[in-house]
Amino acid sequence: MATTTLTPAASTYRSGLYEWITTTDHKKIGILYLLNSFLFFFIGGLLALGVRTELAIPGLQLLTNEGLYNQFFTMHGTVMIFLFIIPILAGFGNYVVPLQIGAPDMAFPRINALSFWMLPLGGILLLMGFLTGGAASAGWTSYAPLSEDRIGAAVNDAAGSGQDLWIMALVLIGTSSILGSVNFLVTIFKMRAPGMTLFRMPILVWTVLVTSVLVLMATPVITSALIMLFIDRNYGGHFFDPATGGNAILWQNVFWFYSHPAVYVMVLPAMGMISEILPVFSRKPLFGYRAFVFATAGIGALGFSVWAHHMFTTGAVYLPFFSLMTFLIAVPTGVKMFNWIFTLFRGKLTFSTPLLFALGFLSMFLIGGINGAFSAAVPVDFALHDTYWVVAHLHYVLFGGSVFGVMAGLYYWFPKMTGRMLGEGLGKVQFVLMFIGFNLTFFPMHQLGLAGMPRRIADYAANAGWNDLNLLATVGGFMIGASMIPLLWNVFISLRAGKIAGDDPWEANTLEWATSSPPPPYNFDRLPEIRSERPLFDLRHGRTANH
Amino acid sequence: MSSTPGSRPSTTAIIGWLIAAAVIVALAVLLVLNGAAVWNSFFPPEAKSVQGQEIRNLYDIVFVIAAVIFLIVEGLIVWTVIRYRRKPGDDELPAQTHGNNLAEAIWTIVPTIIVIFLFVISWQSLNKIETVSATPDLRVRAVAGQFQWSFEYLPADADATTKALFTVNAPLGPDGGLVLPAGQTTHLYLRSTDVIHAFYVPQFLFKRDVVPQKNPLHDNQFDLDIPASGAGQTYRGQCAELCGVGHRIMVFEVRALAPAEFQAWYDKQVAAVNATAPPAPSGGQAGPPVNVTAQGVKFLEPTLTAPAAGFTFHFDNKDAGTPHDLDIVASDGKKVFDSKEFPGPAVQDLPVPPIPAGTYQFICSIHPTLMTGTLTVQ
Repeated sequence: MATTTLTPAASTYRSGLYEWITTTDHKKIGILYLLNSFLFFFIGGLLALGVRTELAIPGLQLLTNEGLYNQFFTMHGTVMIFLFIIPILAGFGNYVVPLQIGAPDMAFPRINALSFWMLPLGGILLLMGFLTGGAASAGWTSYAPLSEDRIGAAVNDAAGSGQDLWIMALVLIGTSSILGSVNFLVTIFKMRAPGMTLFRMPILVWTVLVTSVLVLMATPVITSALIMLFIDRNYGGHFFDPATGGNAILWQNVFWFYSHPAVYVMVLPAMGMISEILPVFSRKPLFGYRAFVFATAGIGALGFSVWAHHMFTTGAVYLPFFSLMTFLIAVPTGVKMFNWIFTLFRGKLTFSTPLLFALGFLSMFLIGGINGAFSAAVPVDFALHDTYWVVAHLHYVLFGGSVFGVMAGLYYWFPKMTGRMLGEGLGKVQFVLMFIGFNLTFFPMHQLGLAGMPRRIADYAANAGWNDLNLLATVGGFMIGASMIPLLWNVFISLRAGKIAGDDPWEANTLEWATSSPPPPYNFDRLPEIRSERPLFDLRHGRTANH
Repeated sequence: MSSTPGSRPSTTAIIGWLIAAAVIVALAVLLVLNGAAVWNSFFPPEAKSVQGQEIRNLYDIVFVIAAVIFLIVEGLIVWTVIRYRRKPGDDELPAQTHGNNLAEAIWTIVPTIIVIFLFVISWQSLNKIETVSATPDLRVRAVAGQFQWSFEYLPADADATTKALFTVNAPLGPDGGLVLPAGQTTHLYLRSTDVIHAFYVPQFLFKRDVVPQKNPLHDNQFDLDIPASGAGQTYRGQCAELCGVGHRIMVFEVRALAPAEFQAWYDKQVAAVNATAPPAPSGGQAGPPVNVTAQGVKFLEPTLTAPAAGFTFHFDNKDAGTPHDLDIVASDGKKVFDSKEFPGPAVQDLPVPPIPAGTYQFICSIHPTLMTGTLTVQ
């Protein structure tokens, strides 16, 4: 197929590194995505620890230059969203989707390599800001006109070249996403194995499909907004500058028209991964497969009609419409939650690390969904918007949800990727540290927000009543940081001496477990018959057991 | 964890459970020792405006519904996980249930009803909050710029374009803040001179963005009613939308006065504006110059020394468009010298009368948290 087949003569002088740099194999590209994403996860994490350290006690201690503080939280958000969560989910998709549909590779292997290599390039551009007089510092949302100013470095955040580098990096990363989504769509529609009908596809494939549609429809919008911002900053455009006839709120509309669907881009594939893991470790099929597919499509569709709930306090949006749509999008999300719980219900649960992280996802994402409903009630949002409540909410969705899902997926597919199991003991230590650290960090932020602490401030008055909760959040932040040590150690020792996985260590359901671990470059020697959404279950227990 | 031979719990797992138990115990102790404070922390502060009370009522309803849903669903997760764990050696498959259409219908329809109910009550309360009186008792324009607030008091028949009768430039302190009559309706306009800011008073449970607009008629505006019981109270406000390096220091105060007291304050402000401006102090008593520079909303000189026999501040404000002033505060908090603010870039000479020797603070009263230094008078 489309994978590179090297002649023996050529392979003699191609080193391992050269092979990884030039690979078009979706599995190697998938692993590159994961490595690159984890690198940026650690960078983003260190930036967050910088922010938390500064906020631990009142007064300015670490980031005494408040401009630098603003750079830290801006880059934390940008790196985590655009260089960690979105790409790492694309990485899992890259590795797993072709295997799960019984394909030998992605539809466009070389475009696949191109989409990956734009990411480290974008990341380097973004971080270069720190070396060129200041990274972007107008927040990851870069609201105009704050992000437009080039003069008056003393008071304006966006005066340096960092903001321009931010724009360029995001255009690159967005282009990578668009190419990737086209590749996923063509792969899923055109390269499924015989018998793999749409309604026999694993849920992860469905979520990647819906995610790709979201990316394809939304990313061009932010790309044009970014170019408009670039023109405003560098060539005297007046798109977003009210002083010259532009409109400051226009930026927010186009930004959130992308960035709200992007929240689902960051969550749907993680939901897909959970939906692969819960059935395997409860030894039951996913409860309500079709309902789950429709709920995913429903979230995707409704996801385009809720962007202005980020703008309730601007006084420039029609509040009842966006309030109603935001409330309604809770319904398909709730359907999924109940389907997951009833997958576990009356199952026989094995508490391996992937299941623990998946349960972490369920219980934390539940909080992230419920505290989101507070902000859907517009008047309540008047109180909560731009306070630490919102920081709590978004981290319960993106960390409690997506990152726990990513960890579940890592422990679940690591054996397939490397042929070796990750250690269960260290996995559980990581889970406990991360789970407790996460809640210590982000739960108190609800209370801080209710008590009136705004986001994006480097310091607060000692008598504001925010001291204890901030200290608690900082302690939790370092606990999350510490939870990365057992993970890294686990990966390190498991790669050398981990238990040999075999083809199917989890007694799983989907096709990737029908081939060797790691799979050969062409993926499958032969495929089992595909008669349901669980071909391997059918193979193991007979088709009649799957009634 | 089971104790069946061959499935001994690993030490790491035991450590994990111990940590989890320790956290649960810590939380329980916290609840027992300080239950009321923990409970109150789940709610916004007591609302000090009529609109805020409306929001608080809505918050309480949303909170109760959310808490009940959370307890049911989280409880279901925890119970299912504990109840249906796989026993060691149990290799039998559980029943392969693929779904249930009735169940799907129930958990689609019931949540839909709940969210539509929430939407309807929040829409109703939104309409109350957004109601604007045709004849407010007072109209004020809050002006936000990097990084200070000022408050322009407008005539009764004003709209968003009307010029101010007088302006309060200090956002904080006894001479500043947004001074309002308690028990009356104030209509507020929000004007930005540069980027987006947000007018946020936690105790009103309310914020509204201050969006820069070319046409003042497009400025955000809303009604604010502080009940009569709020007379004499001061409420802390703060910019809530990131607006640059000084975002944090954009604080202000709202001071509610009894109507009679407010009227006296108001008349005094109007009279002060109408009185002819006092002649600039001449150089007759000028002493030796003391140089002070403000740049980037900071004083470049952390410490100053001056003669007790009187001196002149040579005050260089380099911050374009940002007003600063220069006051001297004694150790007991009393202002011994108070100057008028002016926007930079500009230089002014401010003659200071003789003051007793000792250690003082010099501050910019518009940016008191960021701009302060020590003045030694000898």
